[in-house]
Amino acid sequence: MDIKITRQENKTMVVLNGRIDTSNAEQFQQDVAPLMEGENPDIDVDCTDMSYTSSQGLRIFLMLQKSVMARKGKMVMRNMNPQVKEVFDITGFSNIITIV
Amino acid sequence: MKLDMHCEMILEEYREKLPVFKKLKTAVMDLVRHCLSENNIIVAGVESRVKTEKSLTGKLELKGYKYRTLSDITDIVGIRIVTFFSDDVDIISALAEQMFEIDWENSVDKRKMLEIDRFGYMSLHYICRVPKTKYNDPAMPELNDIRFELQMRSTLQHVWANMYHDMGYKSDVEIPTEYQRNMSRLAGMLELADEQFSHIRKEINAYRRNVQSLVATGNFDEVPLNGDTYRSFLALKPFKRLSEKIAAINQAEIYEDSLMPYYNILRSLNMKTIGDIVRLRNENSDSAYQLALIQLAGTGLDILANSVALLNLCIVYILKQGFGEAGLLHLFNALYGENDYNKDRAQRIYRQAKQINII
Repeated sequence: MDIKITRQENKTMVVLNGRIDTSNAEQFQQDVAPLMEGENPDIDVDCTDMSYTSSQGLRIFLMLQKSVMARKGKMVMRNMNPQVKEVFDITGFSNIITIV
Repeated sequence: MKLDMHCEMILEEYREKLPVFKKLKTAVMDLVRHCLSENNIIVAGVESRVKTEKSLTGKLELKGYKYRTLSDITDIVGIRIVTFFSDDVDIISALAEQMFEIDWENSVDKRKMLEIDRFGYMSLHYICRVPKTKYNDPAMPELNDIRFELQMRSTLQHVWANMYHDMGYKSDVEIPTEYQRNMSRLAGMLELADEQFSHIRKEINAYRRNVQSLVATGNFDEVPLNGDTYRSFLALKPFKRLSEKIAAINQAEIYEDSLMPYYNILRSLNMKTIGDIVRLRNENSDSAYQLALIQLAGTGLDILANSVALLNLCIVYILKQGFGEAGLLHLFNALYGENDYNKDRAQRIYRQAKQINII
């Protein structure tokens, strides 16, 4: 899994590529840890090339979401492929995270 | 106007003690905020100020002869608590009495000073000291001897007082008589509105207690579905058993999310009483579980939002009512807003429901 994080004006852009699973969830968590503090909490996650997420990935997205909300920001995930979207749907995470 | 020597001495004492006044203001504000938070009292605002030298000079010019020393002036430090409801002023004053030493001789309840046929400034003013048991700074022992003014009033009383003050008047004797009547009428109207707001709050609280007890006793068919009754019902965790059964498919942990967004969905499904929701759950739990089973089994996904149970119940109910894919699309649009994913999801779930003979 590749992750690209860039600052853009008042928000952080995250571009994900590949699978988030047991083999790389820990690395993913370390990569996004800096996004859980500081001002300008808004995060925009581009999932166009994200092919799968396991429960570990969901937990990390949940942590990010809670951190962003605690700082009165907004996290949006966009361009999910149907397989990834299904994971969010059947676990009820589509209720928790804004997906556009 | 030049101040006389007596007033100049008071002013000099003020300059010397200014750091103590500032410290007192901060200490009182901290105590007030802490007290409000501990007692879960939400107020419209808390304001504080130390009288400026300019303002004190003006006061001394007008009535400096009244004061022997600076300590006779009790409003150098002023704190104001503005409540939403007029009856909260009494609650806050009771807390202030526990928190501070009140100088009763100089405290005034302006609410009780007006004649029965007069309407005007309504506020409760306490002159207080901070006891050492509440705040003690060995570097500033004199802080506990200084009196300060604590004003308590409702938002509407505050509005009237600010308007009055903004027009350049400090007491009603100054206002031209031709305008006095209009100001009094406004004060009367605001007093009536204050009373009504408090009355409505009491009635709503009584209603909530009543529905809570109806929900708690299980008389669900007698409880109309509204925001309050739904919230009380959710406190009973009515979907917990189904959530746990679904979570057991993958030994998943359950993430507790708010189910309030489903209130409007349940209303749109024509649920009129809490009893209707109980029937929806009892009659559809097995199918809602079967739907979760076909979706989750073998995925290894071991975290779930608790909303999955209620969402699947709504899905099953919609399908059994014959609303088909269009009904599901309507549900998802209502929950997540219209987006490109909803149609695919409606089609997918419709296929799954057919597979397990829900329809």
